[in-house]
Amino acid sequence: MLQAWALRHSVSPSEDLTWDRIPAVPTEAFKENELTCIPESARTTVFHSSGTTGQKPSRHIHGPVSLRLYERSLRQGIVFRCGTRRFPELWSLTPSPEVAPHSSLAHMMGTLSLDPCPGPGRFWGRITPEGWEVDIEGLSTALTTLDRPILLCGTAFNFVHVLDAQPERRWGLPEGSVILETGGYKGRSRVLPRSELHWCLARRFGIPTRSILTEYGMSEMSSPGYSIPDAPEDHALIQFPPWTRTRVVSPETGRCVAQGEAGLLQICDLANLWSAMMIQTADLARCEDDGIRLIGRSPVAEPRGCSLMSPNPPAS
Amino acid sequence: MILPQLFLADLPSDAVLTPQLIRDACIAVKRNRANWLAHRRTQELVELIAFAAERWMQPDSGFRRIALEQGAAETGFSPATLGRGLDTLFRQLTVEGLQALLLQDLGDAQRLDGFAAPAAELRQGRLAFARGPEMLVHIAAGNLPNSALLSLVLGILTRSAQFMKLPRNGNLIPRLFAHSLADLEPKLGSCLELAVWTGGHDSLEAALFHEADCVTAQGSDETLQSIAPRLRPGCRWIPHGHRLSFGFIGSDQLSSFQAPRIAHRAAADITAWNQMGCLSPHVFYVEDRGSVSAEGFAEFLAGALAEREATEPRGPLPVEIAAEIAGRRSLHELRQAHHRVTREEAKTVPRGAFFEAPQAGTRVWASAESTDWTVVFEEDPRFRTSCLNRFVYVKPCRGLEDLLRHAEVVRGQISTLGTAVGESRLAEMVPMIAQWGITRICPIGKMQEPPTGWRHDGRPTLGDLVVWTDWETV
Repeated sequence: MLQAWALRHSVSPSEDLTWDRIPAVPTEAFKENELTCIPESARTTVFHSSGTTGQKPSRHIHGPVSLRLYERSLRQGIVFRCGTRRFPELWSLTPSPEVAPHSSLAHMMGTLSLDPCPGPGRFWGRITPEGWEVDIEGLSTALTTLDRPILLCGTAFNFVHVLDAQPERRWGLPEGSVILETGGYKGRSRVLPRSELHWCLARRFGIPTRSILTEYGMSEMSSPGYSIPDAPEDHALIQFPPWTRTRVVSPETGRCVAQGEAGLLQICDLANLWSAMMIQTADLARCEDDGIRLIGRSPVAEPRGCSLMSPNPPAS
Repeated sequence: MILPQLFLADLPSDAVLTPQLIRDACIAVKRNRANWLAHRRTQELVELIAFAAERWMQPDSGFRRIALEQGAAETGFSPATLGRGLDTLFRQLTVEGLQALLLQDLGDAQRLDGFAAPAAELRQGRLAFARGPEMLVHIAAGNLPNSALLSLVLGILTRSAQFMKLPRNGNLIPRLFAHSLADLEPKLGSCLELAVWTGGHDSLEAALFHEADCVTAQGSDETLQSIAPRLRPGCRWIPHGHRLSFGFIGSDQLSSFQAPRIAHRAAADITAWNQMGCLSPHVFYVEDRGSVSAEGFAEFLAGALAEREATEPRGPLPVEIAAEIAGRRSLHELRQAHHRVTREEAKTVPRGAFFEAPQAGTRVWASAESTDWTVVFEEDPRFRTSCLNRFVYVKPCRGLEDLLRHAEVVRGQISTLGTAVGESRLAEMVPMIAQWGITRICPIGKMQEPPTGWRHDGRPTLGDLVVWTDWETV
């Protein structure tokens, strides 16, 4: 399929082929195709995206080697972002990878909890018929007796659930603690602008906003990016690890836009072994000096006409 | 041309509206209506509206010029698209057209002037008088101006005091139209009020709804659901939700001579209002067994859209909407590339687990270096809603029954079926289409040009506004 896609764009492997000429595969294509060269007998792991209920999820297929590369990319990626300092213990609001074997996010937390964080980490998420939920009581009690810094990770909706369940409660995390939020609401909670979420987290967990990171990743890629510390803005400034390349293209022409102009984010991820390494996300972004300013999937504000529109891309 | 400050909508955008201001405005238009409008004759008003419409059609009309020059920036439509869209309405607003509407909805064109009746009722000794609401409120939405303009016209025919709440984006043209009426006849203008605020402003809307005898509204189901419970008992409620439309081309019309002509008419429907109206087609279903296949028709359609683009450009889009189009396009293009290869591989390579089953065929035609227009042919006949802005699907079907089966997912949400089918065959089909629930059937090429008497969502537009007094004389 990728070969056909490349041929359609008149691109074929050659010595002078540069990364930015590789045609990007839309992430939506992972939903309807098995974008992998791994034969079925050698497949060990499949990660599914956490789409809206009823939608076909994206699938990212791994064998032992590609999975090892993915895990290494995760570890090196966070070290690249945070440095080689001593990492605190990882507490995740997601379920553990054993409970959610098809979640790339749970797998990421599981991977990081062992290295570079000192294992085994703690997982406060559970799976219910409604989706992921956090054991808020258990977490809250454990946080009050906590005497060492932690790396507290979760999706944005995980954190909102925790904040909303105990609105009066404040947990002072020990100094050196870091919060890592991975964005994403999936319709599971009220939606807060990023800046407001970070201010709330900082106030309720007693840590400075510079100790709150935003992670940008998806099941279709293997090298997440992390926000660089800034005054919490609604749009995160993301840096990706050095084995990735990013570009922002005009949806009109498909060519790179000028710095500061909004366009579609494309990521070339060398860690996507035996899969599509050049990916076109559905997210809008702007190139800035220090990274990629992620604008996200800006919903079309108000309907401009009176025709019904489908809110989702076409499923096959 | 500088517009005088006649309406609340003319105030600077930072002006603060208060519930008291809304109440006062409603009282003023009601008083003016009692003085200047309530006793006017229908014929006079019909002639006045027709004259206003005629002036709007003239290229040197000041209001038209402002609408096309400034409207492009506000609505995102190119002047050509905007001009064509407005003309489709104004062309219909003739004395004959309006009289036909009165006759159709009221049975007799004089029934708003006094007791009157058509022959059948007269024979029974019955007469009737139609009364419009004293205070008619319109909640206009989006930036397709025609339905807002027609709402104002209908309210004038019913001699109602009118208050139109306009959205922040897309208020210029209704405002200009109201100004043009006031310019023609200031007393008529004094019976209209227009104001702009972002929908959902509870205190302003409470003040407005308190004064209303009848409320018409356009918008999404959520918007409409939020308005209904806030109306006082006895207030008439005329909601129009978002709808979609599609087309059907019968095999009998798919000759190599006819198909390109139908494609040109289909392109006119797609480009009108950049496909954003409820009458705009999302999909064209092409019947099998014609000389031209669905795929062939899609190719003709792409050519027709390219031609249209040259004379009537779509205009620029906000980046998030362009991104939606680009995303969809690349997904369909990937399917096309993949399908071609798997189809070829299937011929030469033994099939097995390693080789994916070929997907249904897809072909994409698209404007180069822009998202201006896109045609996607899909063998898969399941209905798809488009992301609009001149993005259309072409799909094959085996006939009308097959088509309606595929459209089942959007049943109840369809406005118009555009058709290109031979006359006698179509006459056999229309009962089934009507029973299925489609409220308008028209030729392809006319989808965005409904006549004044069009029953919006299957309801009489003028007839729904009035209340009757029956007089049984014997």
